[in-house]
This record gives sequence, C-alpha cells and structure tokens, in this order.
Amino acid sequence: MRTKKIKQAVIVVFLAAVLVILMIPLVWCVTLSFDRTALTALPEFSLIPKEFSTYNYEIAMKAIPLWRYFGNTIFLTVVNTALSVFFACTCGYAFAKGNFVLKNFWFVFMLIVMMIPFESRMIPLYIEYKSMGLLDTYWPLILGSFSYVYGMFFARQNIAAIPDSLRESAYLDGAGEWKIFFHIIIPLSKPLIATLCILQIIQQWNSYLWPLIVLRSREKQVISVGVALFNAQENAIIYGPRMAVAVISAVPLTILYLILQKHIVQSIAFSGMKQ
Amino acid sequence: MKNKRKIRHQLTWYSFIIISVICLVTLTYIPMGTTIKYSFYDARTLGFEGSFNGFQNYKVLVSNAGFVKAIINTFALTGLSLLVIPIGYIFACLINGVRNVKVQSLFRVGFYMPNIITGVSVVLIFQVVLKQNGGLLNSALSALFHTDVTVGWLADPNYAKFGAGILGLWANLGYCMLICLANLQGISSDVSEAAEVDGANGWKRWLYITTPLMKNCFIFLFITTIINGFSRFTDLFIIGGNSASGRPGGSLQTLLMYIYQYSFEYPNFGMASAGAMILFLLTFIVTMVNLKLTGFFDKERD
Repeated sequence: MRTKKIKQAVIVVFLAAVLVILMIPLVWCVTLSFDRTALTALPEFSLIPKEFSTYNYEIAMKAIPLWRYFGNTIFLTVVNTALSVFFACTCGYAFAKGNFVLKNFWFVFMLIVMMIPFESRMIPLYIEYKSMGLLDTYWPLILGSFSYVYGMFFARQNIAAIPDSLRESAYLDGAGEWKIFFHIIIPLSKPLIATLCILQIIQQWNSYLWPLIVLRSREKQVISVGVALFNAQENAIIYGPRMAVAVISAVPLTILYLILQKHIVQSIAFSGMKQ
Repeated sequence: MKNKRKIRHQLTWYSFIIISVICLVTLTYIPMGTTIKYSFYDARTLGFEGSFNGFQNYKVLVSNAGFVKAIINTFALTGLSLLVIPIGYIFACLINGVRNVKVQSLFRVGFYMPNIITGVSVVLIFQVVLKQNGGLLNSALSALFHTDVTVGWLADPNYAKFGAGILGLWANLGYCMLICLANLQGISSDVSEAAEVDGANGWKRWLYITTPLMKNCFIFLFITTIINGFSRFTDLFIIGGNSASGRPGGSLQTLLMYIYQYSFEYPNFGMASAGAMILFLLTFIVTMVNLKLTGFFDKERD
C-alpha cells in the first residue's frame, strides 16, 4: 500500500516537472512581450519582465493592422466551419441511412479525395481561380468548405449508430428526409457536431499556405499570414514586438481552449478513437 | 405515379450530397487532372499551354540534386517526427496511472495545450527558444553541463533538422498523448485483470498485454504523422523567413517547399506538377498501406 503511494507521488512529480518544461516557452514568450528591454538583444530568462511596459504591443499594433486581421480570420473561421460541418453532416446522413442509385460509387468517389493531398492540386486550383478572376477575394478560401471529406466519414460512422426506429416513426408521421435530418439527426449528433467544429476551428484559424497564395492585398490577409509577414518584414530582429505578435495571434484559441478545455480534449480524443 | 415517387425519393437523397459532389469535381478532380496532364508537359509559365514532352519532367526532377535533397530532407524530418509516438505513448501511460481524477485531468489539459497554439506563433516562440546565443535551450544546456553551448538549432544546417524536430515534438506531443490515452482507457480492464490473476507483474502486463492492444492506435498515429510529414510546409517556410528555399542552407527544404519554389518563386509549371504527382504517389502508397493494415479491404468485401 505504501509503495503504491510513493509510486503515485513519483509519477505525479515527474509529470508536473515535464509539464513545467513544456510550458516554459509559452511563459517566456508572454514575459518577453511585456519587456521593454527586449529589443535587439535577448534578455536572460526570467519569469517577470525586466522593465514592464506595453510598448511592444503598441509597436506591433502600429506595424500591422492586427484588428483587421482578427476580423478577417474570425469571419473566415466562422463561415468555413459552419459550411463544412453542415455539409459533412448532410453527406454523412445520406451515406449512413440513405439508399439511392450509385451510393457506393459516390462513397468511393469521396474516399479517393482523402488520398489527394491538397498541396498536389494547389497550383492548378490557383490557375482555375485566376482564370475566374477570383484571386484576392475570399471565394477561394470559402468554396472548398462545401465539401469536408474527413468530416463526412466521421459523420457517417456516428450517424449510422443512430437507431432506425426513430426515423421510421417519423416517416409514419409523414416527415420527409430533410425534416428528419433537421429534427432528429442533428439534435442527436451534438457530440459529433461539436467535435467537427473544434477540429475545423483549429484548422481554419491556423491555415497559412492557401491564404498566402490567393490573397494579395495586405488588408485582406488572415492573422497567421499577417503575423508571418510582420516577422519577415522586420530587418532588424526586435524580440519584444515579435513575441507580442505571437501572443496576440495565439490568444483567441487559448481562451477558447481554457473555457472549453474538457470538451475540446474529449472531442480530439473522440476523433482519434473511431478509426 | 409509382415511378414519380421513386424519382422523388432519389432526388431527395441526391440533394444531400450534390453540393459536395459538385465542389469535389470542380475543386479536386479537375485540378488533379490538370496536375497529371501538366506533369507531362513542358509548361514554363503559369497559365500558358506548353508542349507534350513525356516523362521529361520526371527525369529532370529525379536527376536534380536539389529535388533528391528535398526528398531526403522530407524523409529525415518525417522520421524524426515519428519519435513523438513512443514518447506520447509513455506519457499517456503515466498519466493513465495517476489515480486522482482531478490531477489526471489537469495533466491531460496541460499536455495538450501546446497543440492549440500551432501555426505561426509556435515558430516565433521557438525562434527565441532555439536561438544560438542566449536562447532558452542553449542556456539550459550551458547551465547543465557548465560549458558554453552555442548550437545554432535553427541557424546551422547540421543541426537545423534537430531544431525542427524539437519544435515538432513540442507541438505534437499533446496530440499523440491524448489519442493514446483515449485508446488506453478504451481497453477493457478485464484483460489486464485476468493477467494480474495469472501473476503477471505490472511491467510485464504493460509490455505484453497493454502495448500490443494499442496496435491500431499506433497505426493511426504512424500514418497521420507520415502524411503530415510529407506535406510539411508552414513552420519551415516561416523559419526560412517566408522563403521556400529551406534555410539554413537548404537543410529544411521539404518536397512541398521545392514544389512551391517551382510554382511561385521561379515558375516552371511542368516541373511543379511532376513534383506534386510524386507527393501524391507517396501519400497514396501510405494511405493504401494504412487501409491494408487496418483491414479496410476485408470489411468492404463482406
């Protein structure tokens, strides 16, 4: 009994130590962002800023239109998440419960897409949008969300587990498929929808390569590209403002995570279980 | 009358998938076809028709030292990033062993935290952590070994891959841990208890019973890590100062960065398409191996 307790204590202390090491980069980043002395020379590591000020944030705000980038990114994240999760659910429902001609064909049709990395069709896609005159608009960033293949597979597996008896009783009441979808399937799929939303939000917030390629105007950029541009445009490396930018761009998702930590952790775990 | 109902039935179901299907045809299948076509064309400038030249692009690519280096870099970086799986698994087991539910939940949330801050911020932070002079890692190593350690983790071509590996490990450890932990907790305790009755000690139970039961979870993480590794781009692109040349010294240029260079920095559409096809083939092979290993084909046959 006693050895068991000691073993527990050792494990907890060890894990706590590793956790502290993992967190140190984040803490130091926040510290530097508030340190007036962190400009061209990097101050030594400490947990509190040498000279506390919000100067770095003011510099960062002046250099790039951060609020604008925030607005753009939030807009795109919300629109894309809503679209992709909705269409993942409609397709998932059709493949889980529907019976229609060529169902298996369309299923394989979508399966194949999972094997085509986005990057290998990026250039022709760029040209396609260029010929349509849609470069430097948000369309190239949004249109792709009308299909979310991974989400569709995930939705199919989960919706298939909903018993058919619920649908059958709705049929007897004269409900059509869309009505059943909205009134029975959607309310019963809340964990599924939450998981897909979380996965999408994280992915959308951090998307980088595609916005970098299709957006040309500075004021239309998203936060990740904006931050990287700030990083590249500063010839003399000034650490404080850089860290301020890193903090600002990471804050929204961090707050979201801290509020919804349990749900997010569960959702991510859930997405890795149903393989 | 009956036919009409049948057609309506079909149309209703198709209305659920039609938008996604149209989207996939125009935004995935057609561009993919274009990539295949142009990989066999001598097309130097974006948007201009070139002339057919067979396997020339592939031949040039395969005999190009830069391309071979990019492939080797990609494999090396991917190989390094696979380390996250055993490490993540060990932490998952340790966290799973914590009895106190609240403490366990705290570790779960804490370890996963870095994964939320992916993207550009991580790179900015690690440029400071891994800095040659006065960086956090070198300072810590200096203090530990009582000598002045000045390794250019992201500046020296000989060490840059390890620097990128440390960054990747920090960012992905939480994800691996979380997936392993979820699967560990999904293993029925009956098996382990039966072994306990048979007198197997904790260490043996872990090695011979728990770990083999995690096979599917490992395959999943293995495949995801490899596929992500093949298309690694963003963090290394930013480390190079928004350039796809793979600074320092080309040591961090991955396959995708090589393709990007040929697409946008000095355009040669044919070459870029051939490179993209090779990336597609690599991903395709890995996915097929995955489906084979997880028994997907057997299931479909039933």
